[in-house]
Amino acid sequence: MRRAGPRRLRAQLDPRRWPLLLTVPLTVAALVAGVATVTGQAVLARMEADQGRHLAALGAAFLDGLATAVQPAAVRADVWEAFDALDRASGQYEALRPTLSVVVLPDGSVLASSSPRVLRTGAALPRSLSGPADQAIASGSPAIDERAGRAVVARVLLEGGVPVGRLVAKADIGALLAERDAVVRALVLANIGIAALFAAAGALLVRRILLPTERLRHRLLEAAQGRRPEPLDAQAGSGPEHLALVNAWNGAVAAIAERDLMAGRLAREEGRAQLGRLTAAMAHEVNNPLGGLMTAVDTLSEYGDRRDIREEAVGLLRRGLDDIRKVVRAGLSSWKTGPGEAPLAAQDFEDLRLLIRHEVSRRGLTLDWRNDLPDGVRVDRTLARQIALNLLLNAAAASPPQGVLGFRAQGLSQGGAVIEVGDVGTGLPAEAESLLADPDGPPPSGGGLGLWTAARLARSQGGRITREPTPRGTRLVAELPVPSHAKEVAHAS
Amino acid sequence: MALAGPRRARATSLAPVRFGLTPVFLESDLALLRALSSQMAAALGTPVELVKRRTYQEVVALLLTGQLDAAWICGFPYVRHADRLSVLAVPVHRGRPLYQSYLIADPSLRARSLADLRGRSHAFSDPDSNSGCLTTRWLLAGEHQSPATFFGATFFAYGHRNVVRAVSSGLAESGSVDGYVWETMAETEPGLTSTTDVVARSAWQGFPPVCCLTVSRQGAAARGIEAALLAMAGSPAGTEILRALRLDGFMPGSPGLYDGIRAMSQDLESRA
Repeated sequence: MRRAGPRRLRAQLDPRRWPLLLTVPLTVAALVAGVATVTGQAVLARMEADQGRHLAALGAAFLDGLATAVQPAAVRADVWEAFDALDRASGQYEALRPTLSVVVLPDGSVLASSSPRVLRTGAALPRSLSGPADQAIASGSPAIDERAGRAVVARVLLEGGVPVGRLVAKADIGALLAERDAVVRALVLANIGIAALFAAAGALLVRRILLPTERLRHRLLEAAQGRRPEPLDAQAGSGPEHLALVNAWNGAVAAIAERDLMAGRLAREEGRAQLGRLTAAMAHEVNNPLGGLMTAVDTLSEYGDRRDIREEAVGLLRRGLDDIRKVVRAGLSSWKTGPGEAPLAAQDFEDLRLLIRHEVSRRGLTLDWRNDLPDGVRVDRTLARQIALNLLLNAAAASPPQGVLGFRAQGLSQGGAVIEVGDVGTGLPAEAESLLADPDGPPPSGGGLGLWTAARLARSQGGRITREPTPRGTRLVAELPVPSHAKEVAHAS
Repeated sequence: MALAGPRRARATSLAPVRFGLTPVFLESDLALLRALSSQMAAALGTPVELVKRRTYQEVVALLLTGQLDAAWICGFPYVRHADRLSVLAVPVHRGRPLYQSYLIADPSLRARSLADLRGRSHAFSDPDSNSGCLTTRWLLAGEHQSPATFFGATFFAYGHRNVVRAVSSGLAESGSVDGYVWETMAETEPGLTSTTDVVARSAWQGFPPVCCLTVSRQGAAARGIEAALLAMAGSPAGTEILRALRLDGFMPGSPGLYDGIRAMSQDLESRA
């Protein structure tokens, strides 16, 4: 339990589990940001190269002009002339923004600088300048220190090919770097804005695209919760794919509605058929003794004064009425209670034996009846009787004349009941057998409605009907376990 | 460098008067030089060519060799060549034909005398300048010192304004400068002088004179220049020039005005 929380959190953080409404905008934003970063890098690289060339050109122009002026002073080691040239030049190259210019003698000492208070005449050139100066002279381009915001340009002063000193200048490139930073900021802000815009547009677009799918998902959820499936507006789709999806759903809804309608109609017809069969059976059972009863009544009316005849007629009347009472009781016990109101008992199936007696005798069948069901089996007695009755009537219909109709009923060790009905007919058709495998499917079109009904009832009780192998005819076994709610009730009691 | 006045065009047939200039005043003001040239040309009735060189020595050499009709030079070159040169006129500054040499220094040194400048770098104006070199050398000689032994480093800036710039910028920690130039700059370029301290002022000495070769003293050019200078305060244009130069006018000079400079020069020669 303790590890369930982090695991769930990890699962929620897994991008593969994120909804499209989040994944697509993020992906779009990431793509836009990636493209913007690449193009921004290209722009910055180009800008940096341009600035470098610009700075190198400015530095070269500065050195060209100043070297001409300070070279004679360097040759004569003239402090004033060198300073005068540097001082005058310092205010004339605004584009380069030199902050310090120095004439260095061959021995490394400063002849003059444009800022004598910073770098005095005779002092050694500091390492912070000599290193970049050496680098600039070696590379022929400015030595740039971005962190310090400066660039150092330098040139060797040659007189007749002989070095007479070096001209070193430090320039403030803060403005160039600030310009680049401003471009970077503008690029970043623009990229963030564009990425956010595209992400928002992506979110809206995906939301719009997924809207029909979302509606369909809601309909499916409602259907899964047992509500009646409702069709979707076909005009709400945003493309042919969604239109096809909506049409498919609407087709499924129509098919489900049609099937339910048909199932209802068939169920009603089946109910009427069963009622008819039952009525016919009861009428037959009542009619059988009725003839004898009528004869007994006639005998009593004619010979009632004779004791022996009267007693014989009354006895016949009593037996006949007793048979009628049994039939009436069987009908009452079958239909007077609702589903699930009483446990199943052996007597419930015995009543069925009475109900099908007329059908068995009409077809000339022999009934092999064995009822070992204990009392108090917690299975819906009404549904169990309906299942058994459907299987018996089906088997009777499939049996050839003079055939044997077998019936076995017994309890399961875990509770529940097993009903086995066999006949010696031509065997179960393939279409009828498929009903057993898929009782939730549509009802058969060419007969077998009783078997379909029995299979659906068994399925509704958590049971099933299977065909067991037999040398001849068909043997069907209905297993009816104790429903879970019945187990809970039993346990609680 | 040569500058000519506006009348040059209508006096092209005449030989120009050549007038030499040294940094004894703020010769860097080109507008002022153009006005001076025009004013002199108008007074002389001939074109005037103003001749500038980087050093006193070059201008004095041109004057001594007769390539200049006259030149505004320093008192020190005059006393050195007094046997060949004559004073045509002497500027009058604040009512007197006198000026001083200033010792200036970086204010951060808090120097109060020449002694406080020992070991410091020093900017001289010109080797032939009285206020920009001779006076300081003479003072050091009185202490049995020379610039090389007393100062940490020295250099010539070849111009009094340049000396002020050198000290103001920190290139030199101290300098020797013409007092008249420093005072004028204090009015025209206070940003430069305010970053220098005047450490010491010399005795009053003769103001740098306008000289000519003695042999040419009575020539038309020399007399014309003399007359133009002495009369400058009498014309509006001349007055404007004198106001820009912070001068009252020009007056006839005399050799005795430079006895002090002569004495210092002779003293140094005797010590050499």
